Amino acid sequence: MSLGGYHFDWSAVLSGQPLDWLLHGMGVTLELTLLAGVMATLLALVLLSLRLAGPRPLQWIGAGYITLFRNTPLAVQLLFWYFGGVVWLPESARNWLNAGHQLFGIGFPSTELLVGIWSMGLFTAAFLAEELRAGVRAVPQGQLEAARSQGFSQWQSLRLVILPQALAHAWQPLVGQYLNLLKNSPLAMSIAVTEIMYQTSQIESFNFHGIEAYAVASVIYLLLGVVLSAVLTSLNPSPAGLRSNRRAD
Amino acid sequence: MLTKLFYYPVIHENLGYILVGNLSQGEPGGLLLTVLLAVSSGLIAILLGFGLALIHWFAPRWLQRGLWLLSEVVRGIPLLLLIFWLYFLLPMWLGRSAPDAVSVVAALSLFNAVTVMISILAGLHALPAGQREAAQASGFSRWQTLRLVLLPQALSHMLPSFVNLFVALIKDTSLAFIVSVPELTMISSQVNNREQVYPLEIFLFAGFLYFVLCSVLSLGAAQLERQLRRNK
Repeated sequence: MSLGGYHFDWSAVLSGQPLDWLLHGMGVTLELTLLAGVMATLLALVLLSLRLAGPRPLQWIGAGYITLFRNTPLAVQLLFWYFGGVVWLPESARNWLNAGHQLFGIGFPSTELLVGIWSMGLFTAAFLAEELRAGVRAVPQGQLEAARSQGFSQWQSLRLVILPQALAHAWQPLVGQYLNLLKNSPLAMSIAVTEIMYQTSQIESFNFHGIEAYAVASVIYLLLGVVLSAVLTSLNPSPAGLRSNRRAD
Repeated sequence: MLTKLFYYPVIHENLGYILVGNLSQGEPGGLLLTVLLAVSSGLIAILLGFGLALIHWFAPRWLQRGLWLLSEVVRGIPLLLLIFWLYFLLPMWLGRSAPDAVSVVAALSLFNAVTVMISILAGLHALPAGQREAAQASGFSRWQTLRLVLLPQALSHMLPSFVNLFVALIKDTSLAFIVSVPELTMISSQVNNREQVYPLEIFLFAGFLYFVLCSVLSLGAAQLERQLRRNK
């Protein structure tokens, strides 16, 4: 196949060493996305409870965190943690990380990957927390008042009455944020995390078949996005009635 | 000591370079280039996105499907990958090499144009159907209905979301550093490589500059939104 004088050679990407690189890169991308996603979710829930039920100073800290992390680029945050943040670790911990280890028979994440997960987890948490808060705000005030008047404590009303409805409101935007996490993951190549884009650049300099590599990478990302979106959408915990009424208010 | 926590002299010595790059040699860089990249991509994206939305509005079904597919692909792959694509394809299309900054602007423009198209269409479809029916019943043509009745209402609702899009765009210009365009992130990383021992100071300062730029605009967007809601 030839286009504009360029001859496509798919076997330069889909066989031998380049194929191994791409498969490895896919594994790293998944690892990065899933672990950062779990971390971001837990942190976002903490941030949300700080903002909703915490004492005043903790509410400010939660709000400050969200503003700070949302208004600076992920690239700068990655570089900050990779070059700056690692210095805060004790030297013994740094040496241990750099030495490489086995965990459950697979390689323990490299320092680069750990910093990638850490940075992307912190970054994404701010966006998830903001979507969750928008979901909470979409729940009518009367719901909280009704729950309190039935004798639920503030915390019980939040957990049992408000949060399930807020999740239903926020589910699609939340799925969008997890997809953003997947699509932001190539930035980790800037700190030498060996994910998909890192591998395509390696193929490009290995045999100059960058275009084929980008095409394959595009297909991989589109497929991963479709799968991730379908899985998360099907996990929607909200009652069917709420789901179809989402746009009613 | 405060200077132990944050060694300011390293910022002071490199301040000019961080803010404008090698501007005196005619090569703008740093914060200035970040703003230039964002503003030029933003303007192209608004115009192109507007054009795409108009085409979509009047287009036959097959063309609408094509535009939808384009937007799914452009927004479904990582923005960095889109930059790499244009980095390779632009020289092929233009028949000569293009500066790296041009491929970055092209990618950012395309990505945001598609987003603008989607939000304009969503804004138009969110208007009550009666608006269109009433206009057409009063003898307005399809074009007049769109231009005089629907667009003015839809656009005023969308203004805050365009500002937020621009904030995201400012942050996205930092991707340019992966293809070595000397904007703020690239320059900071260069200064960091040269100085070696002050990464915290350098990247905190870069983050601070982005933060000021983005949070001022975000606050403006929130203010605008409140005002629009009040005027409703």
